[in-house]
Amino acid sequence: MLALIIRRLMTAIPTLLLIILASFFLMRLAPGGPFDGERPLDPETQAALQQTYGLDKPLWEQAWLYVSRLAQGDFGPSLVYRDFTVSELVAQGLPISLTLGGLAILLALVIGVTAGLCAAVQAGKMVDKSIMMLATVATALPTFVTGPALALFFGLWMGILPVSGTGNGLSWLVMPVVALALPVAGAIAKLTRAGLATVLQQDHIRTARARGLPETKILFKHGLRPALVPVASYLGPAAAGLLTGAVVVETVFGLPGLGRYFVQGALNRDYPLVLGVVTLYAGLIILFNLFADLIYGWLDPRMREG
Amino acid sequence: MVTRHFPLVIILVIVGLALLLPLFLPWTYDQIDWNAVRAPAFSSSHILGTDELGRDRLARLASGTQITLMVAMAAALVSLLVGIAWGATAGWVGGRVDEAMMRFVDGLYALPFMFIVILLMVVFGRSILLVFIGIGLVEWLTMARVVRGQVMSLKERPFILAAEAAGTPPLMIVIRHILPNIAGVALAYLMLTVPQVVMVESFLSFLGLGVQEPLTSLGILVKEGADDMDMAPLGLLLPGGLLVVILVCLTIEGERLRDHFS
Repeated sequence: MLALIIRRLMTAIPTLLLIILASFFLMRLAPGGPFDGERPLDPETQAALQQTYGLDKPLWEQAWLYVSRLAQGDFGPSLVYRDFTVSELVAQGLPISLTLGGLAILLALVIGVTAGLCAAVQAGKMVDKSIMMLATVATALPTFVTGPALALFFGLWMGILPVSGTGNGLSWLVMPVVALALPVAGAIAKLTRAGLATVLQQDHIRTARARGLPETKILFKHGLRPALVPVASYLGPAAAGLLTGAVVVETVFGLPGLGRYFVQGALNRDYPLVLGVVTLYAGLIILFNLFADLIYGWLDPRMREG
Repeated sequence: MVTRHFPLVIILVIVGLALLLPLFLPWTYDQIDWNAVRAPAFSSSHILGTDELGRDRLARLASGTQITLMVAMAAALVSLLVGIAWGATAGWVGGRVDEAMMRFVDGLYALPFMFIVILLMVVFGRSILLVFIGIGLVEWLTMARVVRGQVMSLKERPFILAAEAAGTPPLMIVIRHILPNIAGVALAYLMLTVPQVVMVESFLSFLGLGVQEPLTSLGILVKEGADDMDMAPLGLLLPGGLLVVILVCLTIEGERLRDHFS
């Protein structure tokens, strides 16, 4: 397991570097710059600003400078939020995005696995069909529709949940997390149902039944674990999807998370901010994929690597 | 037939309405009716009312659906072409090349690709053409995996071996014998790609990075509706509901087709 972790971290470094460089050059190809305000600055101020932030140097040199500073944990200054460094902005946004994403994936797992289990036990019956139908609908629910729709019903019409911001205890988390979790929950329900359907046909389950084990024990001890393997391999893409969804949810509900900084940064040409957020997102996804692989190995010992 | 393919029927009805309605409506999607700003539904000549700028809701819905579906189909075709080219090459050549090509796909799968697309949109302006090329280039991964798997299993079949023994050039074998045999599966995944693409397009438009005014798409309509939902909930519920119905129907039909071919 240690070998797997080390090998993964080794491949993570070039992957991250590639993403950082790709985003760096894409950003710089864009017309316009961070200092184009409503009122054009006089050329001297413009030149002075460029020089202060090192934007007058050749691109390759800037890229090298950025990467070498990043290696020391320095994300650089934000060009638009002038009084903040990117690290400070990220430190504000990251906890919010992580809370949203983490809770959403937990909720999705709980709902999805439970629904899939209920459907598989009742295979072929009405319950199964209606759960699978609901799961299909759930996977097709985009967060930018469910988010505002939830806000409309529970926020504006019923007035029981806050429409935006992070005040009021923890109730602000409910709608964003639900909007994020629904499509993932649908996909997990389908995968669990399909996984269980194949596993329950296998010999070891028949043996367990023949030995007279109670049905619940068969289901939870012998059935569920191998059935969850496809779910584990879905967790990586799911995490990437959640991060994308978080951008929308943070915009819809006015939450100061990473996604909002990313969109704002991209629109304002705040180069260091965008690069910082992309790097962080990529790192998170790589970490999460590693985590998913470890769960994978735990669920299915045949998948463990030496 | 009609009851079994109910979702397909709904899609066809929506497409038909989106194409035909603009021909019969007295208003175009960008025309402002100064006498009926924020008109309620079923008022005189605006069946679904007007938005906060006095534009006819029904005309905007029809036009938005047209654009959304057009972008989706174009982008799905891009993903089909790239996916088939990549997957067929990997599956046919095999060995080291295959391994490298599929590793690349695996790597891309895990990346925050949406963010690269957002960057692309910011960089290269926001033309419709770019929207669907950008999306198509992101959504080809699954297609490449599926096509590769199919090609790998076909490669060992006797009729392909026979064609090889007869000295048919490899490109010819792929075009004449392999591609027709994977058409069904490719079609199923194409159908499943369309809702994905619809979602990405609407997502970009929602953030203001996709289709630009005066053109409209379902994503833009949802965004406009969300901004104005306390005044006019219909503005959010109509395009949002329509989008969800389209996505659900396409997904159901696509999954049925996929299960049929696998």
